[in-house]
Amino acid sequence: MKRLISMAVAILAVALGLAFWSQDLQRSQGATGSNTLNFANWGDYIDPALIKKFQKETGYHVNMETFDSNEAMYTKIQQGGTSYDLTVPSEYMVEKMAEDKLLIPLDKSKLKGLSNYGASFMNQSFDPGNKYSLPYFWGTLGIVYNDKFAKASELQHWNDLWNPRWKGNIMLIDSARDILGFSLVSLGKSMNTTNPTTLALAKAKLDQLSPNVKAVVADEIKMYMADNEAAVAVDWSGEAADMMASNSHLHYIVPSEGSNLWFDNFVIPKTAKNFKAIYAFLNFMTDPKNAAQNADYVGYSTPNDAAKKLLPKDVRNDKNFYPGKEVLDRSEVYRNLAPKTVGLYNDLFLEFKMYRR
Amino acid sequence: MKKWKWTNLYLIFVFVMLYVPIIYLIAYSFSEGERMSGFHGFTLAHYAELFADTRMIQIVVDTLMLALLSSLIATIVGTLGALAISRTVRPLVKNTVLSLNNILMVSPDVIIGASFLIFFTALKIPLGFGSVLMSHIAFSIPIVVLMVLPKLQEMQQSMLDAARDLGSTNSQTLARVVLPFITPGILSGFFMAFTYSLDDFAVTFFVTGNGFQTLAVEIYARARQGISLEINALSGVMFIFALLLVIGYYFIQQGSQSRKAKHRKESEAIIHEAAH
Repeated sequence: MKRLISMAVAILAVALGLAFWSQDLQRSQGATGSNTLNFANWGDYIDPALIKKFQKETGYHVNMETFDSNEAMYTKIQQGGTSYDLTVPSEYMVEKMAEDKLLIPLDKSKLKGLSNYGASFMNQSFDPGNKYSLPYFWGTLGIVYNDKFAKASELQHWNDLWNPRWKGNIMLIDSARDILGFSLVSLGKSMNTTNPTTLALAKAKLDQLSPNVKAVVADEIKMYMADNEAAVAVDWSGEAADMMASNSHLHYIVPSEGSNLWFDNFVIPKTAKNFKAIYAFLNFMTDPKNAAQNADYVGYSTPNDAAKKLLPKDVRNDKNFYPGKEVLDRSEVYRNLAPKTVGLYNDLFLEFKMYRR
Repeated sequence: MKKWKWTNLYLIFVFVMLYVPIIYLIAYSFSEGERMSGFHGFTLAHYAELFADTRMIQIVVDTLMLALLSSLIATIVGTLGALAISRTVRPLVKNTVLSLNNILMVSPDVIIGASFLIFFTALKIPLGFGSVLMSHIAFSIPIVVLMVLPKLQEMQQSMLDAARDLGSTNSQTLARVVLPFITPGILSGFFMAFTYSLDDFAVTFFVTGNGFQTLAVEIYARARQGISLEINALSGVMFIFALLLVIGYYFIQQGSQSRKAKHRKESEAIIHEAAH
């Protein structure tokens, strides 16, 4: 009995010690409670040095929590119980959250440097007039190829993927809307198609691609491509930038007939409390110098035109990461579809994955 | 001789299968470069990076504190529960309570996590350290009960009768006879609860929020960008920590055994003297 009690006391003491240590660590990061900005962000999606700089400049403490999917973040906010001041949903999720009244409109009078943002990235269909959202990063869906096995001229269009030359040599990103999406584009249809017949057609066309498909994978795709495991991959631009940084044989192409244009955006969820800190942070991130530093760290394309000018010449002139107006105009932003249609996309994609030949 | 060899080979095979991935992971924590493709030469840079990452260290500390606290409380509640179950006389009540306990054991973490999320939000309990602690205690209790109960059943009724015959009160019997006897069960219950809490992902994922993060959830979120070798370095450190834990557990067990042996010797000596 005595032994058990002394053990329990020892465990309590250790736990208490750890609690103090944790408090101390929190304080060393600058937290003092009321001046905290609760920021829910994707994992590794901001330069940590910028957070430090923001804390030093403004005295606010950033409490960053990470999420891995729009849906997980949405559930946390909708259920309540969290107190996020700021979060970064993708475009269709902005639309959904606005519909569900989970967002607080931006107070434009408190935002400095709105003119830094490029006109082609503002006033998008998912949030007309940027009532709720400020673009954070954007990108496209495209084709990555390895110049050891393929030439750029062989992969200018989505239809080139169906070339029998790539038998068992293409990797696809595991995402229903993206994969069905490029099949739809190759048929000349919209990526936001809701017509079941058109979707069935796109799926039938995808089935014909299956002999070429080596694997349908998620994040691992970066590792495989960097290791020269496949000649061609379909992936997002930011992921492509990561791969290209580790393997100089890789290149990225946005097919000229159009692609998906995606945005991750700052929004203020209804759980927000510390508005001064929120606007201080948004203005800090809008500052061209900071935005450029962040874009350099994250590797995605910045919608901040003033920041883009500060990026290295070879980055900002790269037509594949900052495509020209023609490609942007032909590209589509995903709309928030009805749950039934989303279900149809997922079912068709699952069938494609399961009955691969 | 031949049979002996084959079983040994099988054992070696099993251990190799279990340990090679872990060793592979740890080996790469010393590799230069950014990812796990090709060993590029020895470096300790990833460990330096890990120890400079205050956020990561804080998460590790929080995770350990949470595991210690939740398993301690779960051990106390679970031991009391096991005592109550073992004292229940009516078989129907006993079996019902035990089955309810077992259902919690076998139901998937995802379901437990989702139900806790609904529960906490319905009661307007803010998500964070408190909610994670409560749910960890909740899913650890059944484990402790299952670890302590067999020890209680092993205990012979005659021991309790003897204690009572010698005039001990109920609380004295509990403190001096029952608890010392079931201590090994309580300890293994604590360690099981500790490991469950330490590596739980699904439940924590649902009920965490407001800046509180555990290791499993953080690694999962970071994996989106491809796992950096910092995580490998962390795995190395955690592996050493687990090793120390196992060694510590071994010594605690050894200690209680040698104490028992000492007791036996002393009582033998007394009997010996009395006989003379």
